[in-house]
Amino acid sequence: MRYRSQSVAYWYFAVAMALFGLQLVFGLLSAAKYLGPDPLLYILPFDVTKVIHTNLLIVWVLAGFMGGTYWLVPDESRTELHSTKLAYIQLILWTLMGVAAIIGYLFRYGTGNKLLEQPLPHKIVIVICMLIFLYNIGMTIKKSGRFTTTEGVLLLGLVSSAVLFLPALLHYENYTVSIYYRWWTIHLWVEGVWMMIMGSFLAYLLIRLSGADREVMEKWLYVIVGLVFIAGILGTAHHYYWVGVPQYWLPIGGLFSALEPAALVGMAIFAYSAMRRSGLAHPNAQALHWTIGSALFALFGAGLLGLAHTFPDINKWTHGTLITAMHGHAAFYGAYAMIILAMISYALPQMCPGRPEKGTTMGYWAFWMQVGGMFGMTLSFATAGIGQVYLERVMGMGYLDAQLKIQVHFLMLIATGTIFATGVGLYIFDFFRYRPVLDRADDTVPVSGDVGNTEAERGTV
Amino acid sequence: MTNRQSRIFAIAATAISALIFLILTVDSHRQFPELTHSKNITPEVTHGKDVWHKYNCINCHTLFGEGAYYAPDLTKITQHRGEAYLTAYMKNPSNFYDEQKHRRLMPTQDLSDKEIHDLIQFLDWVANVDNQGWPPRPILVTGGMTAGSAAAGEDPPGAKPVDEGDDPIAKGDRLFRTASPACNSCHSTAPGADMAGPTMAGLVTRAEEALASDEYQGEATDIEGYIRESIVAPSAHLVPGAMYSADGTSFMPTGYEDSLSDEEVDQLVAYLMSIK
Repeated sequence: MRYRSQSVAYWYFAVAMALFGLQLVFGLLSAAKYLGPDPLLYILPFDVTKVIHTNLLIVWVLAGFMGGTYWLVPDESRTELHSTKLAYIQLILWTLMGVAAIIGYLFRYGTGNKLLEQPLPHKIVIVICMLIFLYNIGMTIKKSGRFTTTEGVLLLGLVSSAVLFLPALLHYENYTVSIYYRWWTIHLWVEGVWMMIMGSFLAYLLIRLSGADREVMEKWLYVIVGLVFIAGILGTAHHYYWVGVPQYWLPIGGLFSALEPAALVGMAIFAYSAMRRSGLAHPNAQALHWTIGSALFALFGAGLLGLAHTFPDINKWTHGTLITAMHGHAAFYGAYAMIILAMISYALPQMCPGRPEKGTTMGYWAFWMQVGGMFGMTLSFATAGIGQVYLERVMGMGYLDAQLKIQVHFLMLIATGTIFATGVGLYIFDFFRYRPVLDRADDTVPVSGDVGNTEAERGTV
Repeated sequence: MTNRQSRIFAIAATAISALIFLILTVDSHRQFPELTHSKNITPEVTHGKDVWHKYNCINCHTLFGEGAYYAPDLTKITQHRGEAYLTAYMKNPSNFYDEQKHRRLMPTQDLSDKEIHDLIQFLDWVANVDNQGWPPRPILVTGGMTAGSAAAGEDPPGAKPVDEGDDPIAKGDRLFRTASPACNSCHSTAPGADMAGPTMAGLVTRAEEALASDEYQGEATDIEGYIRESIVAPSAHLVPGAMYSADGTSFMPTGYEDSLSDEEVDQLVAYLMSIK
């Protein structure tokens, strides 16, 4: 840790870890309900466990992004944060908002609008948190006068996330129109601006971990951003299938969604070539596992599995089945959960002096159990989804009867989900195992692999 | 490619995509009123939408295929189930499905009568939105398999096309799958396979028994008449069971009297008479 104020990241990561653990509790509970009968039918029905599961994901991933940014920006701009106090106020507000939302959902206090269930007061707090965050980051960069491409892309991603949240605050009389704008927030976050955040984290980590040349990495970061937006913006169309919008969204969705893997292939090549060019120079091999793993799992989950059901002629049959759950789980985990775990794995040894920099045995168990478990979960959803599509949509068997036929896949889901959750449990335990020492900025700690950085300074904009 | 060129690529790609997207958004708004029949969005429909949100329906069900995958899609539910059925269902789902058998059950939601009524109006508005003909084949809640189904005007899968000269039974068979709402979305023809409505297997025997018993309330005097009456006036005689009727009203949709011609009703009766 070179700058004392970077320590705020630790608390963001800690909150993210706690909520990640809680997310899995509700995930496993939801999965168990697929087997039924449900003894909690009137205490904690599926709609409640599911809404908590998805909302915790949003809250912890964003907390992870914010923590990652508070870690990254001082390093890139070579200065202390503008205000650590603001950062802590923001974290407290954010956590309170998240926890209050979860408690509210237990009592059905929510908007009932998928993924935007947060009631208006909570949404306003979200906006306030984002504004504090952007102000704090903006001021830090302004003060330092050093603004790198990685930061530029990151900042643009964060500002756009805030702007795209605005349609979610409005009310629409027409359900189809409300679906139309809901995706401006959800899709353009997930497949647009969050990708920018992921891309810039990836660039930062690759530059630090592999000592890859900054100028080359940042050039490719631009190309990836371009590809993300060509495919991502018009790719919103694949959410407009069959919801009451004009016909032309079908071919547009088919074409541009097919391009979406291009950006992810770009990121995977980006990661692989960085690693090849410089060798595994950095001692923190565990962070490198997560970084490369994220690029590859995102390509698999978001890219390939998305492509698998994105053409209108296929989606006509798979729309609204467990095939979507297959894609959703693998994509979110690969692209967002893993990149945050990469960032944490990179930053943690610098904040916790006792922690070995190269990673721990438990950390490797956590990595492989999570990757293996999530792969198994993806397969379970996929086989369940294929069975569902075939029996229910193609053969015309009733929904409830078809669900009974695919019970074995739900058993598989719970088994692999348990492996995954164990991996996450190990990661969380490993996270809290070493005490952080946060009140010192340490120049004697080997500055993690900012190799080639003297040359890299030319890459600033 | 230089750093500058790659930056220009990123900015231009984003700007052009965003511009096209915005133009299409404006055009979509131009078409929304027609595609969604927005003139039919009455205060009842709007309130029904609020009910849909208030009870968090979308975190189990899907609508337009969007939502959670724990419960059936409801996009076209009002084309499969009449208001009387849906009302009774929402008052107590456990009258209709058995958690031991289906392994899941919708919890009773304590909706008021007004909420139920408006929710059904909302779902009916949804069912009529022009969504490019999705789903391509009806999504049934239960049953199926034995009852192939097809979109209106198409042949049911595996069925031979019928023409003018065909037997009335063959024509009735086709009507059973193509009438709107399709009979086979609630009735199977497999023995013992009761869905939202009773199975059609053994119908003739049951009709005979009903006609002979004292409980029969309708006006029919023979089996053909009994079947005809049950199609055009479902509430004339009620089959016992809380899942089939409430307050003297059958859950079977009404309206076949108008939507089917006399000849078509004859064909349907001929088909149903032919089932063992």
